[in-house]
Amino acid sequence: MAAPDMRRIMLRRAISLRNQRVLVVFLALMAGAAIVNALASVYFDINIKMSSELRTFGANFYVGPGKEHTLPEKDFEAVLMAAPEGLINAGSPYLYGSARSELERVALAGVRFSQLGQLVPYWQVEGDWVGVDFDDRNAMIGRTLAGRLELKVNDRLTLVKDGEKRSLRIKGIIDAGDASDSLLFIGLPLAQAWLDKPHIISHAFFSLNNRAGEVEAFAGKLQAEHPDWSVRPIRKVSANEGEVLLKIQGLMGLISIVILLLSTLCVNTSLTAIVGERQKEFALQKAIGASTQSIVRQVLLETLSIAFLATCVGCLLGFLLAQVLGQTVFSSGISLRGVVIPITLALALGVALAAGVFPLRRIMRIQPASVLKGE
Amino acid sequence: MANAISVETRHVGKSFGSVKALDDIDLRIGSGEFVALMGASGSGKTTLMNILSCLDTASSGEVWLDGVNAATLDEEGRREFRARHIGLVFQQFHLIPYLNALENVMLAQHYHSVTDETSARAALDKVGLGHRLDHLPSQLSGGEQQRVCIARAIVNQPPIIFADEPTGNLDEENENRVLEIFEKLHAQGHTIVMVTHNPLLGNRAGRIIHLQYGRIVEGVSVVAATKEIPVRAIARQVPASNASTMAMIESVAP
Repeated sequence: MAAPDMRRIMLRRAISLRNQRVLVVFLALMAGAAIVNALASVYFDINIKMSSELRTFGANFYVGPGKEHTLPEKDFEAVLMAAPEGLINAGSPYLYGSARSELERVALAGVRFSQLGQLVPYWQVEGDWVGVDFDDRNAMIGRTLAGRLELKVNDRLTLVKDGEKRSLRIKGIIDAGDASDSLLFIGLPLAQAWLDKPHIISHAFFSLNNRAGEVEAFAGKLQAEHPDWSVRPIRKVSANEGEVLLKIQGLMGLISIVILLLSTLCVNTSLTAIVGERQKEFALQKAIGASTQSIVRQVLLETLSIAFLATCVGCLLGFLLAQVLGQTVFSSGISLRGVVIPITLALALGVALAAGVFPLRRIMRIQPASVLKGE
Repeated sequence: MANAISVETRHVGKSFGSVKALDDIDLRIGSGEFVALMGASGSGKTTLMNILSCLDTASSGEVWLDGVNAATLDEEGRREFRARHIGLVFQQFHLIPYLNALENVMLAQHYHSVTDETSARAALDKVGLGHRLDHLPSQLSGGEQQRVCIARAIVNQPPIIFADEPTGNLDEENENRVLEIFEKLHAQGHTIVMVTHNPLLGNRAGRIIHLQYGRIVEGVSVVAATKEIPVRAIARQVPASNASTMAMIESVAP
């Protein structure tokens, strides 16, 4: 007959006997593990998510002429070609100039309309965006200029040049809160033709994915290859991005620490109560020959087993919680990253061990003679 | 009849702060003896029992158990000695509530060496509980729990069994049953030291050792040894200089 494994029997029975106390320990550790797991998942995904989120603040990269006033349009294409795959989110050349309208002279900008939605997502547009790059019949106009020309959506504005006229329908009126409010936006090919600047641009703006400082690296590379260009990240957005990231990551770290401390206190209280209830049991074990170390090992095994199970469930719940956070804050899912699970496991087991220090010391001090004496 | 000395104490004393619980205890218990330790509450029976069973240490003197001076053992040494040489029976049974009868008995084997279900079953058979192996303590009567406790004490075949008020929580029928088990174990050669304040139980042991105020007394009848009321024991602890308190206590003592 195989010898029964008393350690395993005692572990199983001891955990199953004290359902309520064990449940409290389990829930405290599970909640801690779930929150740490969720925050850690977001933490490791936040660079990407924040970068994506901050792109909605608009262009974060500028390429323009160095000493000259303009660039050939092919330079814009060269930037697109030089960028690593996935780096450029959107980009548009800009050509500025002034033109006469039937009413007064206006400042105009030629752009690639298809890219504007991602480059200037903060524009408030009355009417519609122009969606096609080569649209030469529609235009968008800044709120200030539209007010001065008393134009409304669907009104027409006629450009005049050397007896030639080009009537444009106002498809959208822009509220940008900057100089764009005084500009007339038309398609780049039309602007180049109307201003007699074929294949010429004033500069270009891009929206880049700023993962791990890729914008700075790309700027350095472009500048080295094209010393006659002026290449620069738009630092306002990049710096903000970094600061916001640091603050959010710090906040998540702080929340994790508070949650872990609360879990530790909760588990400590429950373990102390369990040890108090089982004092006679431990005294008896010592009396019949158990070493203090073997009892400590037994209680540690019980605690770590509960902690392990709680962490497994906590990781699952944490991943779901991370999805909720991702959808709520960033409107996208959070990827499951392998590194999060060992971190959560280590922290949860660490909490269980820290919470067990005082109860275990109490076990070590149990004197069987005084605990077991008859009443 | 005892052949060799199993338990011997030489000038053993035990103090708790300024209170002397045991004073100059000299006793010899032969191997295979069945001895009852008797005395009133506070006479030092349990304190002596704890020292003899290596659950506690003496403040002074020597304790020899099967040729080993327990006073020289550290905590780990006493633990090992208990596991290998001593069986303990408690008044309150002290069974692990989540282990069944068989597992409670095997627990003693686990801390002694390795578990052996066959000999654990045999120990329970010996105390008449071969049919209650799978029952939890909560499913057993007080008498049955005490018999599981005895099975646990004997499963490792220890040469000495210490029982502290083993029938204190039992009715008369179970008291007899437990005593019969002890008598059988005694007949099989176990040395048994039993603490009791019940004169009828004491008389079933082969020899009675009387304790009074922490000392072994000679020539005291069983009844006299157990009837001294605690108030006199209290008076013993009052410093002689506190005459008024002493006088008050003496006045209420019969």
